Amino acid sequence: MAERGGERGGFGRGFGRGGRGGRGDRGGRRGGRRGPRQEEEKWVPVTKLGRLVKEGRFTKIEEIYLHSLPVKEHQIVETLVPGLKDEVMKITPVQKQTRAGQRTRFKAFVVVGDNNGHVGLGVKCAKEVATAIRGAIILAKLSVVPVRRGYWGNKIGQPHTVPCKVTGKCGSVTVRMVPAPRGSGIVAARVPKKVLQFAGIEDVFTSSRGSTKTLGNFVKATFDCLMKTYGFLTPDFWRDTKFVKSPFQEYTDLLAKPTKALMLDAPVENIEA
Amino acid sequence: DSSVSVRASTGKILSSKEEKRGRGGMGEEVHLGLPGPWAEDYREKADHYTTKIGGVPDWPTEDMGIKPHLLQCSLCGTKLCLVAQVYAPVAKLNIESRTIYVLVCPTSKCGPNPQSWKVLRVQKCHSIVQTNGKVDEVDQRKASCNISIYSKKRNKLKHSNAPIKCPLGKVKEDDPSLPVLPCFYIYYGKEKLGGKGIVGPNSSESVSGKEIADVANDEEEKWEGESYEYDRALGADRTFLKFKKRLDAYPQQCFRYSYGGKPLLAATNLQESRVCKLCGAPRQYELQLMSPLSYFLHEASDGSSDYAPDNWTWLTLVIYTCSKNCCPSTCVGKLVLPRQSQPTIPSCNLLQGT
Repeated sequence: MAERGGERGGFGRGFGRGGRGGRGDRGGRRGGRRGPRQEEEKWVPVTKLGRLVKEGRFTKIEEIYLHSLPVKEHQIVETLVPGLKDEVMKITPVQKQTRAGQRTRFKAFVVVGDNNGHVGLGVKCAKEVATAIRGAIILAKLSVVPVRRGYWGNKIGQPHTVPCKVTGKCGSVTVRMVPAPRGSGIVAARVPKKVLQFAGIEDVFTSSRGSTKTLGNFVKATFDCLMKTYGFLTPDFWRDTKFVKSPFQEYTDLLAKPTKALMLDAPVENIEA
Repeated sequence: DSSVSVRASTGKILSSKEEKRGRGGMGEEVHLGLPGPWAEDYREKADHYTTKIGGVPDWPTEDMGIKPHLLQCSLCGTKLCLVAQVYAPVAKLNIESRTIYVLVCPTSKCGPNPQSWKVLRVQKCHSIVQTNGKVDEVDQRKASCNISIYSKKRNKLKHSNAPIKCPLGKVKEDDPSLPVLPCFYIYYGKEKLGGKGIVGPNSSESVSGKEIADVANDEEEKWEGESYEYDRALGADRTFLKFKKRLDAYPQQCFRYSYGGKPLLAATNLQESRVCKLCGAPRQYELQLMSPLSYFLHEASDGSSDYAPDNWTWLTLVIYTCSKNCCPSTCVGKLVLPRQSQPTIPSCNLLQGT
């Protein structure tokens, strides 16, 4: 692939200055100009957020959640959430009827999580199983969300259950999670139990409704429920938000929208229970 | 029908999509600009046949006669610096000496605004001039401004038109105060679209056969009612995921060149300018700059605070040129004001999940 100078006549001269080549030492770790696969492990960020993460501007992924920035590269999540484990929940064949028979593809469901407040779910269809699994892992990492945990009663020790009753829905399946006392464990069917374990919830009562036979919808409903834990306004959040400048806004003051008084303190918004 | 029976017997069904995927998009090949060596001195001169990123623009002749405010930022008036210089001859129209220059304002304030970008197309047009009985073949180099730049930030499209001019005045040479971006040269590769089995960059997760077997033979649950689902993630939609997939095949591509081909879009909200302002011919896609370019420039910065590439948030910058490669023969000093683009909103204000 790496044909110097290209093939078309006009482009051949594009590399005519090969003699001047030679690498300056000024920054620029680019590498990989030889074989295409040599520096494959090195991540070249595509988005601005990716560039900021790569150079180490963020220590925790909560700083990204604080500003609701969309995460478009899975390497961002890999860098910021180190203990991420993944597990394939199911691979099902899906079929499509064509004129000349049936076309079978495989659909993979993968859940990732660090067992401590971050969980993601990915679904991918592909013609080969390995491709589907790989793609689903990447999509799961792109969908990592924070999970809020709270207490059932006394606020002793670390939070262990959901902070309040929440419910999530996908298709006809609704899943309701109810706080449980310590030691109850996860009271749920096998499939959502796995997702809840990856999320780091230790005790919870669940109740489901609808056609839970469609386990794809069941697991998505559980995930939706977990996404909502941080969406629920509890009295802890009644204090006025102190806004912090987004990481993209450093150079362009004129683009700041004046809502409330912008205070430039250290972030006060702790995303812990 | 014989063709149907052949397919059935081999057991493999080629969908129409698969066949189309073999091409680079609309039957045109896509050439990728891949990073080559850095220049030893960022201000070193090359010739106008060189394709490079950053550095000093190499005009074909000393006295280009480009109107000075073509080389100035339309917002703040600072002299523009070169981002990319692409030697782009058009074999079909027999234009051998044609180069495209992409310029940007070096100040960080103007960075996010698409009006701070300008693209020039410089080509050689032969013309015969008769003066006093002598026949002179005059190579007139006309600089005509290119046309529109579609800077695609995430989910937002900006659009700017550069004013179109005719040569007047002189260009100062060798201005040492001219800001210059770090310079490296480009070599070309062709994009080969691999099959599905291409190993992605994170192939460290090896999928063992046993694992697949375990999951496939499931116990009491039957996952029923599943059908094909398009890729989706919280922060990225299907178009972006496809864009990223093409990018991951060659993660260092700095630009994509495909004369008259189809651009690789990262979002679906693309407004297009259809018509060349000079001649009225429709514009066609020629090349697009890609985000690894801003990554490389960012990496090469010397840490100064007012460094423009640190502020770029675009995913891709699509450049359309006149399909007829027009070359105005009369000097018309018409100034076309750039169309006002939407106010730029920094990426931090993006909505989640769109």
